[in-house]
Amino acid sequence: MSFIIKKGGKRMTKKGLALILILTLVFTSLVGCGGQQQEQAKVENEKVLKWNLGSEPKTLDPQLNSAQDGGHVINNVFEGLMRDANGKYEPAIAESYDISEDETTYTFHLRDAKWSDGKPITAYDFEYAWKRALDPNLIPEPSEYAFQLFYIKGAQEAYEGTGSLDDVAINVIDEKTIQVTLTAPTQYFLELTAFYTYMPVRKDMVEKDPQKWATNPETAVSNGPFMLAEYNLGDKVILKKNPNYWNVDKVKLDKIEAYMIVDQSTSLSAYEAGDVEVIDEMPVQEIPRIQKEDPTFKIFPQVGTYYYIFNVTKAPMDDVRVRKALTLAINRKQIVEKVTLAGEIPATGFVPPALYDANGKEFREVAGDYGVDVTKAQVEEAKALLAEAGYPNGEGFPELDLVYNTNEKHKLVGEAIQAMWQDNLGIKINLTNQEWAVFQDTRHSGNFTVARAGWLGDYADPMTMLDLWLSYSGNNDCHWNNPEFDAAIEKAKTITGEERFKLLYDAEKMMIDNQIVMPIYYYTQPVMVKEYVKDWNKTPLGHWFFGYADIEKQ
Amino acid sequence: MEENMKIPDYMWETLSREEKDKEKIDRPVMTYWQDVWRRLKKNYLAMIGLVTIILIFLIAIFGPYLSSYTFSDQDLEITNQSMSMKHWFGTDSHGRDLLIRVIHGARVSLTVAVVASIVNFFIGIVYGGISGYMGGKVDNIMMRIVDIISTIPLVLYAIILMVVLKRGLSSVILAIGTIYWVRMARIVRGQILSLKELEYVLAAKTLGASTWRILFRHLIPNAMGPIIVTMTMMIPSAIFTESFLSFIGLGVSAPKPSWGSLASDALGGLTSYPYQLFFPSIAICITMLAFNFLGDGLRDALDPRLRK
Repeated sequence: MSFIIKKGGKRMTKKGLALILILTLVFTSLVGCGGQQQEQAKVENEKVLKWNLGSEPKTLDPQLNSAQDGGHVINNVFEGLMRDANGKYEPAIAESYDISEDETTYTFHLRDAKWSDGKPITAYDFEYAWKRALDPNLIPEPSEYAFQLFYIKGAQEAYEGTGSLDDVAINVIDEKTIQVTLTAPTQYFLELTAFYTYMPVRKDMVEKDPQKWATNPETAVSNGPFMLAEYNLGDKVILKKNPNYWNVDKVKLDKIEAYMIVDQSTSLSAYEAGDVEVIDEMPVQEIPRIQKEDPTFKIFPQVGTYYYIFNVTKAPMDDVRVRKALTLAINRKQIVEKVTLAGEIPATGFVPPALYDANGKEFREVAGDYGVDVTKAQVEEAKALLAEAGYPNGEGFPELDLVYNTNEKHKLVGEAIQAMWQDNLGIKINLTNQEWAVFQDTRHSGNFTVARAGWLGDYADPMTMLDLWLSYSGNNDCHWNNPEFDAAIEKAKTITGEERFKLLYDAEKMMIDNQIVMPIYYYTQPVMVKEYVKDWNKTPLGHWFFGYADIEKQ
Repeated sequence: MEENMKIPDYMWETLSREEKDKEKIDRPVMTYWQDVWRRLKKNYLAMIGLVTIILIFLIAIFGPYLSSYTFSDQDLEITNQSMSMKHWFGTDSHGRDLLIRVIHGARVSLTVAVVASIVNFFIGIVYGGISGYMGGKVDNIMMRIVDIISTIPLVLYAIILMVVLKRGLSSVILAIGTIYWVRMARIVRGQILSLKELEYVLAAKTLGASTWRILFRHLIPNAMGPIIVTMTMMIPSAIFTESFLSFIGLGVSAPKPSWGSLASDALGGLTSYPYQLFFPSIAICITMLAFNFLGDGLRDALDPRLRK
């Protein structure tokens, strides 16, 4: 008896459970519908820009960020003393500035601007942010981009621990005036103040949660045209118009939805379906088709170089003849025209085009091509060099590993170069891909012989490319140490004019003569933006800015 | 007496064949395997599968010698060309002949298939056999180890292996080989558990046969049917796993092609050059289908209950 009752009881509960489950499903779907309708009603009178950011930013903290994706968001959410928009630098939070006669002291007069929570922006906010970037004990980690502030007197010493943060020459004169003294005249210092490491942050907010304040809408108080509205991990970042922005009349968008679609094919199909309106990554193989079919596809120049680095401390790469042979044995024109396809320019030097010297001449043109013919592989010369180094026809040359970070494009380039080296020099290369974070460690620790690399300029001056190779630079992954080069760069940082550029030309020649890197091409920025999105901005340094953008749908 | 025995030759007559076999009540003597083969031959799909597999093997082995291209021959002047008389399957993003790359991919896939099945066969059978026959504590411990191994996701395991070892085909084979015997071990154990209760095992024990002899001469040959079926069914899954690992970038290293890496390379240009994805995928499909047809057919053919 009891058994039957028990069984019956079980059945009842099962039925009951099923019923509850069904009811829940029905209810949630109804609720879902309601929500969607509401959202749609809202969308009609709101201007929302949907943009594919591409990946999940590691951080949105201006001082901690060193990556492109985080930089895009920060550039729209925060604002520095100056702003890089429409191809020129204009005063932003600074209303005006004075430069002393010796060009080492800058005085900025701040305009009457407010943070997104309504509090006024003061010079103290800038002082806090800049010293924060230089703090060697910063929580959660010291800023990787601290060296961008080393132009300020006392900054490098403070960061390296030999000086105190209090001695850094940042001087708050009053609430609205800040003065900095530089170690030497720096022509691009105004440009630097538009860079994200120089953007102000709010002390009270940062201290609430030093780790995650920038991704929490409650603490992410900002001063740019937009402010953080929502942060959905791995999905999207939603920015909304900042009503307290000083130039709010120029801001026309109400909202920006930045998606984190990593896959390039998915990104392109989302664009073609109209789910996103702005993308800057698309599969390489689709470019010829898009170029033909889609008038919204455009290619912009970008200050940056794509290259391979050699670990100069490791055999056989410690022999400059081997490095030169490898550099000569590839056909760069073929790579950009047949493999990468985005209108890239074959590279022979390290400083990309569109950077100019003191006489207004293009740095690249003056520096020349160092005898590298981009239209063909110089097989004979390369073979001779390799033979001289003791590997005639590649005999006895060890099998090399070429390391790159996992990415379709890097693989395509890698395979092309692998075949060229194999065919032209008879040497065997293995391709190894690594996840981005692991790859950065590999390069940094020198656990490689040849690795893929790329460097994008942070400001419009050849120095942004060249000071990378200082022996003590954190990004000198070639592990190259040349006191002569160090001296030239250090000297160039303290002088101006023609003499300075002579040193920079010498420096580039030194690093190319030593062939510590193999330049492959200069980057371009392919972008696709729907035609109804107007007045958007992508700077030559590669930062998106939507502060003045508008959507004009018919 | 002696006279009676003498029957003159003319009185003898050759018995006709019909007469001779009249008393026989059995059918032609056939071994188990002959019977299996006979029944397999009747299964259409299974035969198609078998012929296809043989063809794929032949193409994989001899194909590369017949082509004038090699899988790494790169010609950047003829990238992404459609199918033509010169390149039957077209060319890929580096101007390499796709046909030879698909054929080379078959080599990779079949290598993985063969190695996985051999590993399956030896480790799985020995492990499952011992576990099933010993029973008790030994069985318990051995099966728990199997449980633990089967809870580790293959991808995670493969990634860890790639970190420790060099990336490449050997690591993929090692990853698949060290994980895939688990299912086989379970099946063999189940078979042995039921077989060891039979009388012939008791008889062998009584005659003093050693444990090993009983296990390898008596029990495992009798469990061969399910073992072979499991093996044919697991080959396609091993091929698919390899393709999957290569697809997500954990398999063979470039320029070596495998069907999975060919498919993943083609994905970027899906809308512009769909044929680049079509050929490797169709190769995977055909191979998987062929092995599955054969496996199904073998299962029916090896099942004694279906014996006619």
